[in-house]
Amino acid sequence: MSTGIPNNRLRLLERAKRALPALTPALESLLAGIVGLLVGALIMWIGGYDPWKAYVALFRGAYRDMYGFASSLARGTPLILTALTFSICMRAGMFNIGAEGQVYGGALAAVTVGYFALPSGLHIIMGLIFAMLAGAAWSLVPALLKLTRGVHEVISTIMFNWIARFFAFYLVANVLVDPIRAEKTISVPASARLPILVHGTDLSYGLFVSVFFALVIYFLLWHTTAGYELRAAGLNPTAAHYGGINSKRTVLLSFILGGLGAGLAGATIVMGLPPTYAVYSGLPQLANVGFDGMAVAMVGRNHPIGILIAALFFGGMNAGGRMMQIIAGVPLEMVRVVEGIIVVALAIPELVRLFRFFRNRWRSLWRREPA
Amino acid sequence: MKRILTLLAVVLLGISLVGMIGLGNGKVAVVLDVGGRGDLSFNDMGFKGTDQAAVDYGLEMVEVQSATAADYLPNVRNLARSGEYDLILAVGFLLTDAVSTVADEFPGQKFAIIDGFIPDKANVMSILFRENEASALVGALAGMVATHFGYRYVGCVLGIEIPVLYHFEAGYRFGIDWGVKKYNELGLAIGADVGLLYSYTGTFSDIALGKAATEAQLAQGAAAVYNVAGPLGIGDLEAITEYHTAKGTTFGPPYYIGVDANQDYLGNGLHGIASGMKRVDHGCYNAVKSVVEGTFHGGIVSLGLAVAEGGVSISKLQDLVDFFAFGVAAGAVDEVDFYTTLANWSANRANIPPEIWEAVDELEAGILDGSIVVPTADSVQEMQAVRAQYPLP
Repeated sequence: MSTGIPNNRLRLLERAKRALPALTPALESLLAGIVGLLVGALIMWIGGYDPWKAYVALFRGAYRDMYGFASSLARGTPLILTALTFSICMRAGMFNIGAEGQVYGGALAAVTVGYFALPSGLHIIMGLIFAMLAGAAWSLVPALLKLTRGVHEVISTIMFNWIARFFAFYLVANVLVDPIRAEKTISVPASARLPILVHGTDLSYGLFVSVFFALVIYFLLWHTTAGYELRAAGLNPTAAHYGGINSKRTVLLSFILGGLGAGLAGATIVMGLPPTYAVYSGLPQLANVGFDGMAVAMVGRNHPIGILIAALFFGGMNAGGRMMQIIAGVPLEMVRVVEGIIVVALAIPELVRLFRFFRNRWRSLWRREPA
Repeated sequence: MKRILTLLAVVLLGISLVGMIGLGNGKVAVVLDVGGRGDLSFNDMGFKGTDQAAVDYGLEMVEVQSATAADYLPNVRNLARSGEYDLILAVGFLLTDAVSTVADEFPGQKFAIIDGFIPDKANVMSILFRENEASALVGALAGMVATHFGYRYVGCVLGIEIPVLYHFEAGYRFGIDWGVKKYNELGLAIGADVGLLYSYTGTFSDIALGKAATEAQLAQGAAAVYNVAGPLGIGDLEAITEYHTAKGTTFGPPYYIGVDANQDYLGNGLHGIASGMKRVDHGCYNAVKSVVEGTFHGGIVSLGLAVAEGGVSISKLQDLVDFFAFGVAAGAVDEVDFYTTLANWSANRANIPPEIWEAVDELEAGILDGSIVVPTADSVQEMQAVRAQYPLP
């Protein structure tokens, strides 16, 4: 105690010093959110709409009462899962854009439980397992391509999204088609539907599936050896390799975990969203769930807990966006522009961080090259 | 001075009272599916009809578009929950399940749905169109035109495979068959076979797919292509225009056949020979009117060829005039092009022998008096039966 400061005060300072860096991301997000809201307001004002009325409608529609809150959570449910797909791979040092295609796979696999009968609980579990397996299987191919042929995952996952899209079109229209209603697949039977959690809303028990998966991923990444290896390989592949970490194993693990999540996302949509419980031709209820998940991951700082919060926010934007149309008369296109601006603003801090991270890594690689 | 002020106050009070009454009459909401506005056909017509009714009856109107299919139910439910709307009007078959669900939750709320089959609810008016009747007329025209100009096929580009589109395909098939037979009966040509090329693109929004499908059908020798996919018609017409440019022709076959709205005026009327019109605007207008006049009732309202029903028809001159204005309002065409368009359209129609037009009228009269019955289909099985009856290879 040579400084002469009393012991307890020193400890307090220590604690504050430790807490500050943890607070920075939250402050950054808050600032980015405010900037996004202001720019969005400016655009609405230029477009001739009342920004104040629109934002009041947005936030009331999203969080004012149980109905709004449940609606927000309902839309956030699949986004939690697709965000995890992106961030698990990001933590392992890879840019996985394949959640979109894996959602299609998961949704269609979940629909197939309609072809057989089982007791209710078992039927639901079967649907979830089918969906997870389909998502993981679709994710595995780009992973194997990377490991065996060195195909970059950005290219392969983008291409696999398109393959999945048109393959899903084919399956919906020709194989899983409802014989009475050609515009959709067969519906998931009542015994395999995730029950509605809040009556009169579209929030189902799918929420628990998502949150549970997020907690499992959190535990796996931060409290197990495999998770430690995965993160180490992401932070510094060279050091991880030197430390004896099998990089092939971490690639495979991150893609499989991501695929399981995206597949589940497909299941929570077809098994959990009323009223049709089927996939429509053209996939209008699945489209963009995977891509939106990437934005959720960015805003949630690629952390499972951050993602849970970000998903609630994204779901709220969607649920509240509907009310912007109804109450403030803002057309859907303008609603999406404003939502997009807020999202971009929120994602910028994380994007800057990732950009710096990857740039430094490239620099270190280049520096090593001449030697 | 004081008197003037008093007068002014009275006048202002009067104006505001009238204004309040005007707005206080009620509210209607129109919900659109993912196709959205700007298609110059189905969705724009639904909006136009509701908007017109709102203006005529002094109602406030709210429009809600759906970003994804997951929004259908919440959108309809949010409107019903508010309890502010005298009528919630859902435009499009894909909203059927959502309307059906919410109608049970809010039995006091009136709903109307275009194209959705909800027959048994007291608070839901299902407005259906007999699209097969109008499709038979354009099919007969296309079949006769193909025979007349020596083409092997007629074409048809459809959207998502939903029962509503089966009505179109079934009627079109019947019409082609009827037209070709009729043309041979008239002794105008030695009977050549006319086949049907049709493709379900699986979309109501991807214009590029409409263009690609049309190009494929033209390459195989289609004399006319019937657009049964709303906005995809913009792509269909583009393919037909490019085909003509490549051949060095400005009009004549192959032709474009429009849908829902009258689309003959598109592209300066150079290629649009006719449209199988489905007056979604009339359906919406009448639904709002029924609520205002207190004649609203649940169940099916079926609209066909009859003038009184105002449901479906093949486009005529007056429709060109009416819908050119619709196109101008939507920013798709320029007012100054009206007379060029009219001249092009008339020249194209005059290029087809009057016997063909008379035969189309004959078919129309036959359907109206019930002597000719046009088949339809509501399921895959029924559609397959119609395809087997009129294979048109």
